[in-house]
Amino acid sequence: MTRSGIIRTALFALALLFPLSALAAPTQYQLRIDGLACPFCAYGIEKELNRTAGVAAIAIDINAGIVTVTMNEGATMTEAKADRIVKDAGFTLRAFEQLRTPAGNK
Amino acid sequence: MRRVLNLLIAAMAATALANSAVDAHGPLFSPAPETVFKGGTEITLGFHSEKATGAGNKEKAYEMFLEAKYGITADWEIGIEIPYAWKEENGGDADGIGDIVLDTKYQFWKRDLPMAQYKAAAFLKTKLPTGGDGGAPRLGSGSTDVIAGLATGYESRRWYWFASGVYRANTEGAGGLEKGDRQFLNVVGGVRPVLTEYKEPDTVLMVELNWERAGRDDLGGTELADTGGWELFVSPVLWWTFGQIAIRGGVQIPIAEGLNGNQATSDYRARVEFIYHF
Repeated sequence: MTRSGIIRTALFALALLFPLSALAAPTQYQLRIDGLACPFCAYGIEKELNRTAGVAAIAIDINAGIVTVTMNEGATMTEAKADRIVKDAGFTLRAFEQLRTPAGNK
Repeated sequence: MRRVLNLLIAAMAATALANSAVDAHGPLFSPAPETVFKGGTEITLGFHSEKATGAGNKEKAYEMFLEAKYGITADWEIGIEIPYAWKEENGGDADGIGDIVLDTKYQFWKRDLPMAQYKAAAFLKTKLPTGGDGGAPRLGSGSTDVIAGLATGYESRRWYWFASGVYRANTEGAGGLEKGDRQFLNVVGGVRPVLTEYKEPDTVLMVELNWERAGRDDLGGTELADTGGWELFVSPVLWWTFGQIAIRGGVQIPIAEGLNGNQATSDYRARVEFIYHF
């Protein structure tokens, strides 16, 4: 194979790998939660989410009523599951949105 | 006469705590509609102190208590409070386990809004006659009493309000004394002066207005003249939280009273609590 052939093949392989790596990025969900008023009460949400299989990290924006959930690679969460978690913590799920990539990489 | 006096003092001290249906994120001296989240546990270590003087009496009571609550569902919790009491009355003193309280609360209404919540709950408590009632001063009333009430409230990122009503039905206790039933009405306002982020230290200031009334006590079928009446307290409360930890403290200051006959009147009641969620 010529030198230019090697470069073309390498570029082609990279192009194939890029979407795969994008697919492997951890999925994030944004939960808009009604009723979140105090940080102490919000601990119920944190605990419920942290013991949910597949959840890697959570971030709570108490002043916006938004919880961002980052999943482990390959793990997903359904809206029904999120609704159950939020209800068990004593709140109401108003909106559930799947973010394409982790925050900051959108 | 001395026996009657001791009974009255013991019962007064025991019932003073009846209104203290506390909640981690609600008022300190009155009940709130909050319940612990499903599967959550809340442990409280608290200290209560009160002093009353007048009519030739001087009474001091201190109580350390351990309270545990568990959320069966997000709306329904059960709990137990175990107190250890110290009492000083007219030169005598005693200490030991006080009256244990079992309680349950059900949040029957809730309306969630963005960063705000309205809610209402009903609760039922039973005070067991576990405190020593044979000595002087007595640590328990010797009666099994039932406490029921309703609480409602609103909390947002900035403002809070709560309102509650409580009825305490007393039964005949040690020495044949039946304390008069008691009623409590409370209104509370609160503000969070600085809006912090999650897991940053958070402070809320509250002011409670606590009104309580007692019927006359009954001893062997005779109503006792120097018992019963009402008192009104204003109660500043500071509430500080950090993550799973909360510390709350406050003082009840009497501002008006209409007690029957000659009785010791409240000088103050103070309370501090350390709360942990897990």
